[in-house]
Amino acid sequence: MSAISRSREKWVLLFPAILVLSLITVLPFLQTVWTSFTDAEITAREQQVNWIGLENYIWALTDPDFLEALGRTMYFTAVSVGLEGVLGIAVALLLNQKFRGRWFLRVIIILPWAVPTIVNAVAWRLIYHPDYGALNSLLLQLGFIDSYTSWLGDPDRALNMVILADVWKNFPLVAYIALAAMQTIPGDLLKAAAIEGAGAWKRFRSITLPWIIGPMLVVLILRTIEAFRVFDIIYVMTRGGPSDGTKTASFYVYQEYFSYLRSGSGASYAVVVAGISAVLILAYYAGIRRDQRGA
Amino acid sequence: MHRSLIASFALYSAALLLTLFTLAPLVWLVLMSISSPNDLTSVPLNWWPTEVDLSRYGHLVDLNNGAGHRFLAALRNSLLTAGGATLIALIVAVPAAYAFSRRGASLALLFVFLATIMMPPITYVLPLYEIFGGLGALNKTTTLIIVYSAMLLPFATWLMKSNIDVLPVEIEQAAFMEGASTAFTLRRVVLPLALPAIAATCMLSFLVAWDEFFYALIFTSDLSAKTLPVAIADFSAGRVTDYGVIASVGVLATLPPAILAICFQRFIVSGLAAGSVKG
Amino acid sequence: MTNNLQKKERTAVSSNPILAVENLSKSYGDLRILKDVSVAIEAGDFLVLVGPSGCGKSTLLGCIGGLTEITSGNIQIDGQDVTHTDPAKRDIAMVFQSYALFPNMSVGDNIGFGLEVRKVPKTERDEKVNQVAELLKIEPLLDRAPAQLSGGQRQRVAMGRALVRDPKLFLFDEPLSNLDAKLRVTMRTEIKRLHQRLNASIIYVTHDQIEAMTLATKIVVMKDGVIQQVGSPREIYDTPANIFVADFMGSPAMNILDADVTMDGLMARVEIAREDGQEPLILYDTNPGEGITSRPAGPLKVGLRPEALTDLGSRSVNADQQFDCLLDVVEPAGSDTFAVIRLGGTEVTARMHGDVDVNSGDTVPICFDLTKISYFDPKSGERL
Repeated sequence: MSAISRSREKWVLLFPAILVLSLITVLPFLQTVWTSFTDAEITAREQQVNWIGLENYIWALTDPDFLEALGRTMYFTAVSVGLEGVLGIAVALLLNQKFRGRWFLRVIIILPWAVPTIVNAVAWRLIYHPDYGALNSLLLQLGFIDSYTSWLGDPDRALNMVILADVWKNFPLVAYIALAAMQTIPGDLLKAAAIEGAGAWKRFRSITLPWIIGPMLVVLILRTIEAFRVFDIIYVMTRGGPSDGTKTASFYVYQEYFSYLRSGSGASYAVVVAGISAVLILAYYAGIRRDQRGA
Repeated sequence: MHRSLIASFALYSAALLLTLFTLAPLVWLVLMSISSPNDLTSVPLNWWPTEVDLSRYGHLVDLNNGAGHRFLAALRNSLLTAGGATLIALIVAVPAAYAFSRRGASLALLFVFLATIMMPPITYVLPLYEIFGGLGALNKTTTLIIVYSAMLLPFATWLMKSNIDVLPVEIEQAAFMEGASTAFTLRRVVLPLALPAIAATCMLSFLVAWDEFFYALIFTSDLSAKTLPVAIADFSAGRVTDYGVIASVGVLATLPPAILAICFQRFIVSGLAAGSVKG
Repeated sequence: MTNNLQKKERTAVSSNPILAVENLSKSYGDLRILKDVSVAIEAGDFLVLVGPSGCGKSTLLGCIGGLTEITSGNIQIDGQDVTHTDPAKRDIAMVFQSYALFPNMSVGDNIGFGLEVRKVPKTERDEKVNQVAELLKIEPLLDRAPAQLSGGQRQRVAMGRALVRDPKLFLFDEPLSNLDAKLRVTMRTEIKRLHQRLNASIIYVTHDQIEAMTLATKIVVMKDGVIQQVGSPREIYDTPANIFVADFMGSPAMNILDADVTMDGLMARVEIAREDGQEPLILYDTNPGEGITSRPAGPLKVGLRPEALTDLGSRSVNADQQFDCLLDVVEPAGSDTFAVIRLGGTEVTARMHGDVDVNSGDTVPICFDLTKISYFDPKSGERL
């Protein structure tokens, strides 16, 4: 096929996809960037929109509440992704052993992943319920606590409880990918190491971990990108409360838009969030490159 | 290699612990949905229902019941939205995937595609809200379908591309040699060969759309368009006194993805691995 | 319709080549795959492109088929410039190494695909498909799926798909390399028979020099993206253009030895050293070419086919050119017996009759036939 018709055809094939993505994501994003330099508000009446330069950004970056929300988001992201990583690898190590009933465990591990995010949030909210929750009842009956506790009622504890719910839903993905990577380790390699006298921990450190580190890095960065924009589970479990104890960046921007109707300043918060996400996304591609070179 | 008794014990303990951790929340959700309200509000809890109560499920599939009406409307909206968006995403994604796989379209562009779904939706939702508001298109299933198809498209393109990559290129060349156009070859040769990949892509796309909450929360406002996740959030935020109702809605919303996930585990896991890891 | 599967009269336009490739080059970045390749064939020719893997023969075929974009040069098919034409519009058909059958279609639909694309009515399509199936003896298979066929059957279906449209030019890309040895010989014969019957113009790529010799009316030997020699199988075999061609074509390979060549009257005196202080061999070429007669005496490479070194048997060779040689290794191969002899600083192969009774370690008289000796420049390796 000639070079010209081939390249024209390429754009014909790509056109619908480019059109859809431009209209639904790229152009709105550029609009958000533009709005972030104005004092626009969400209102039904005609309004004068003024260009106010960096004012929104100065405001955003000196707003202690927003910075706290960012910090909270990073805490949420770091702890939940960290736990998912450790738990995921541990589960993969377990599922890579031979034992009776392994197939069953391998099958059911996918269930938390299949539970819709909102159902997950609702289920854990019920489990954490201060008056009738399963967690309270269980811990009381086992003698760990003396009286029922309001798990989501304490600003310092609520975020950690949300993290537990998030980890429960997302560790299967990490575990499956770790397991898939482990299954490509040549058995002879581990046997040879065992014959050389390397213990289980030594084998894990010097063979298994280096072997799976590439794919793990990529999936964990992907999880980081997802965790950083956390919204739904917060919305259902705590609505950002109590006393903003679980108010993450996405939720903060959401409120700035839809509760306080300040689109200009909301947009500047959104752009800051986008900037941080962009760094993570670039890290993801760097991770993929590294992984491919390694492979 | 033979395992020592201690090692075996540790292994099976860990397996048991993992099983409990994985299943307990789900089993409890199911138990809640069939326990009587009294069992659910006793302190401490009555773990095993004194009698199995399936009446909530009965109410949820009853159009004349208030909760049932809301649930069934949301179910219909979710099926339409997820199904429609999956269909559109696939129709748009397959030619794009072919361009990336066989017509040398720059992979940098594909990365831009993927970056659009990695950005937090909060960064572009407001202009969309205003545009759709201006067009009078808020609270419409069609609007959600369009937004969702943009959300599904990059991943679907990516998945289809890596699947087309591994099809033998000589078969397409043979078709071109026989005089077939690209469109004809796609329809008659590539698509039939990529059928398993298309099925996997459809399934994953459907699951993602089924799970989506944020856009649905912002773009829908009543039963005519609200999807299941929004309806469930409403149920749980409302003044429902019987937690069993919330649990049974949760169980019903989980069944379709759980069944798909169990039946097509191999498909899904390899799809996820391809989507998240392979470059 | 039957007439299009019968012998065609294309010789009338023989002045006009059916395919002409001129100065074709193909590079991937700095990597030059094809370097200034020119080749042409007449209608009815069976051209075989042969060479070791990586020599560029498959790339050249891809360029002719339009599957590979060329870097420079031009391609004409039947007088029309198709350098930048879609493969679909070149009126050619290709048989792929992997057969490239459409796995989702029946054998009949595979064969009829090109006609379906051209919107030929169903009844006419079926009729043509049946004719081709009859020709290739695959009629009972028409409703099967390709996955249910054996390798040889798939090969036939792939050829059927090419034949049904009656294109100007057929391209074959190593079509037999996925078949087992026995089937390969059968299919080779079949392809040759088809060519003779249809008088089709064929370009055929292979790395197997026996296929090249048996099938071709014209052979192109390639190496590293450069054409080494173009000629009939006999020309290629008897007068290889350089040491590479001499070594590559023919099995066992041509023996290449170091020799001192001087003129002795009208004859060339070829002196070949032997091992262990034995007297050197002195051989005479009674009819040396001008390349030798006009050249100053000195060391050269000479090439002798194994059949030029043989036992006495019933051959009427010049009995003067006969020397006792130690047979290092004897390898009986049925119709022939091959013996390895150390000569001129290397191991050479002699081809003896199948029924001679010799063993490794025997010393027997060997006759040397120099009528088809080749002389090569020791530095460039080119034929003199």
